Amino acid sequence: MNKGFVLWFTGLSGSGKSTLSKLVEERLLERGVKVEVLDGDEVRTNLSKGLGFSKEDRDTNIRRIGYVAKLLSRNGVCAITAAISPYREIRDEVRKSVEERAAFVEVYCECSIEKLTERDVKGLYKKALAGEIKNFTGVSDPYEPPLNPEVVCKTGEESVETSLNKIIKTLEMMKLIPVDPSADYTEEEEEEVAKRLKDLGYLG
Amino acid sequence: MSFLKNILKKREPRVVMIGLDGVPQTLLKKLMDKGICPNIKKLVKSSRLYQMDASLPEISSVSWASFMTGTNPARHGIFGFTELKPNSYSISFPNYLSLKEKTIWDRIGEKDKKSSILNLPGTYPAREHKGILISGFVAIDLKKSVYPQSLYEKLKSMDYRIDVDTTRAKDKDFFYKDLFETLEKRKKVFSELWDEQCDLFVAVITDTDRLQHFEFDAIVDENAERYESAMRFYQKVDEAVGEILDKTNDKDFVMMMSDHGFTQIEEEVYLNRILVQNGFLKWEEDPPSEFGKMAKETIAFAMDPSRIYIHRKGKYPKGSVEEKDVPKIKEDLKNLFASLERNGKKVIKSFFFKEDIYEGDYLDLAPDIVLLSNYGFDLKGNPKAKEPFDKTHFSGMHTRDDAFLITDKEFSKKPHIEDVSKIILEKFNG
Repeated sequence: MNKGFVLWFTGLSGSGKSTLSKLVEERLLERGVKVEVLDGDEVRTNLSKGLGFSKEDRDTNIRRIGYVAKLLSRNGVCAITAAISPYREIRDEVRKSVEERAAFVEVYCECSIEKLTERDVKGLYKKALAGEIKNFTGVSDPYEPPLNPEVVCKTGEESVETSLNKIIKTLEMMKLIPVDPSADYTEEEEEEVAKRLKDLGYLG
Repeated sequence: MSFLKNILKKREPRVVMIGLDGVPQTLLKKLMDKGICPNIKKLVKSSRLYQMDASLPEISSVSWASFMTGTNPARHGIFGFTELKPNSYSISFPNYLSLKEKTIWDRIGEKDKKSSILNLPGTYPAREHKGILISGFVAIDLKKSVYPQSLYEKLKSMDYRIDVDTTRAKDKDFFYKDLFETLEKRKKVFSELWDEQCDLFVAVITDTDRLQHFEFDAIVDENAERYESAMRFYQKVDEAVGEILDKTNDKDFVMMMSDHGFTQIEEEVYLNRILVQNGFLKWEEDPPSEFGKMAKETIAFAMDPSRIYIHRKGKYPKGSVEEKDVPKIKEDLKNLFASLERNGKKVIKSFFFKEDIYEGDYLDLAPDIVLLSNYGFDLKGNPKAKEPFDKTHFSGMHTRDDAFLITDKEFSKKPHIEDVSKIILEKFNG
């Protein structure tokens, strides 16, 4: 257990990547997993400071995040990345590189532009649609959804809890994280289970 | 009006699986021949009835887990009702959340298909999936047995019972009354929840298994005191099945199955006592109060119902068996059980090494050996038993080779319980 891996969120701005990545981080820490979150917005203020939003700069940004995630994952850390990462080719390039030594789990936060515009937490969509922000992914810049992501979170429709559970369950199923210890019965329940089993002759 | 009713009732075709826990194919045939189960007979006429192999060990928790995941225990991770905690002798109880593989409804849920899963053993505590769920055995708390939570009030108002009260199974009048009432309530809940929109409907009657554990003699012996009661119960089971079948239409795909068979117990066989008598097991105090009283000289021990574990060094706190000695020990155990006889009859029918029956990531957790007894010898892992053979109040024991499956799918060889999920998934992929 506790193999390192990369949990790679992708999706439009405002689709829930940062929110979910923080919640996943909490859940994993509870289970004794080492975690590091590389948030897109944060990375742009240090690791990728100075890079813009041209295709070339975006690719460089993602490659840098991918490189750091790879280093972390091969040292037993769960590296969670939460950047738009709009281009399929670059995501797949990072996947290939990570998978040489560790697992790569792609989480697609799927949410329609209509829904995002309606929510518009950061007020960015309004501005982008009005032409005030250029190269805005999903509005004036392309977004290529993943073809075979390990998890699809329909963040426009389902609750945060549902999305979170999907991710956690997938990680459990892939044996990348230990199963929740609280999945065990309570003491009273255990006694009751033992009693029921004894009644049917399964427990001495 | 009826035109409007039909319009309102129009729905997508469903895959329907009705489970009868522990009902042997041979018994089902007899009951149909006797006219006790006309509804099931009608279904069989338009379909096929197979005898099916259950999992190893042939108990509900393992078999139903194999049904719901389509995998063997070394993949789904359930080898019995009980396990020893890692590097410990204390017992833990694997449950729905310990299942290591996705279920059929997890898989079809990813394609937005809804499932209603009702009273399937091994689904406690309830967890989220696309659809609804009522946990089956060993469900304890009704609140934790339902998904979504809104079902709780409904079930409570319908006075739903998770299970019969087996603590009072020796009081036969009470036991039968309880069986009939519990089945009636279950039938009503199944009927009510049929109206929930779904693509896969799985409903399991578990009361059949309970009847058979305590009253199998009454089912097979026409002269038995409670034969009539047992037959009346099976008529009720058939009625409950019929009520679901009446709701299906030609476009639905209807199947039925059980998770293992049953036969009469001649004697219970206490494997740990046999291991003690043959020098494989030593208790610090005998009989022991728990598995923790195992002495370090112990070579092998048994857990219910038929699992043998080698007391390996490094795996158990007092484990002393070195890896290099394991092959010889396995052979010695094989010889011991192959030669085990009682009143001139062989006790053990087959002897399986884990590598020969399981494959998957959880092979390490598997018992080293699984035994399969001849009919009549009910294998037990109770560490406290003082004698190797005994006969208690239990009347029926599980069998591996006599589960049943009703499906229109053609099989060239005898189906296995792990095959069933494929038939269901094909319906959704096809």
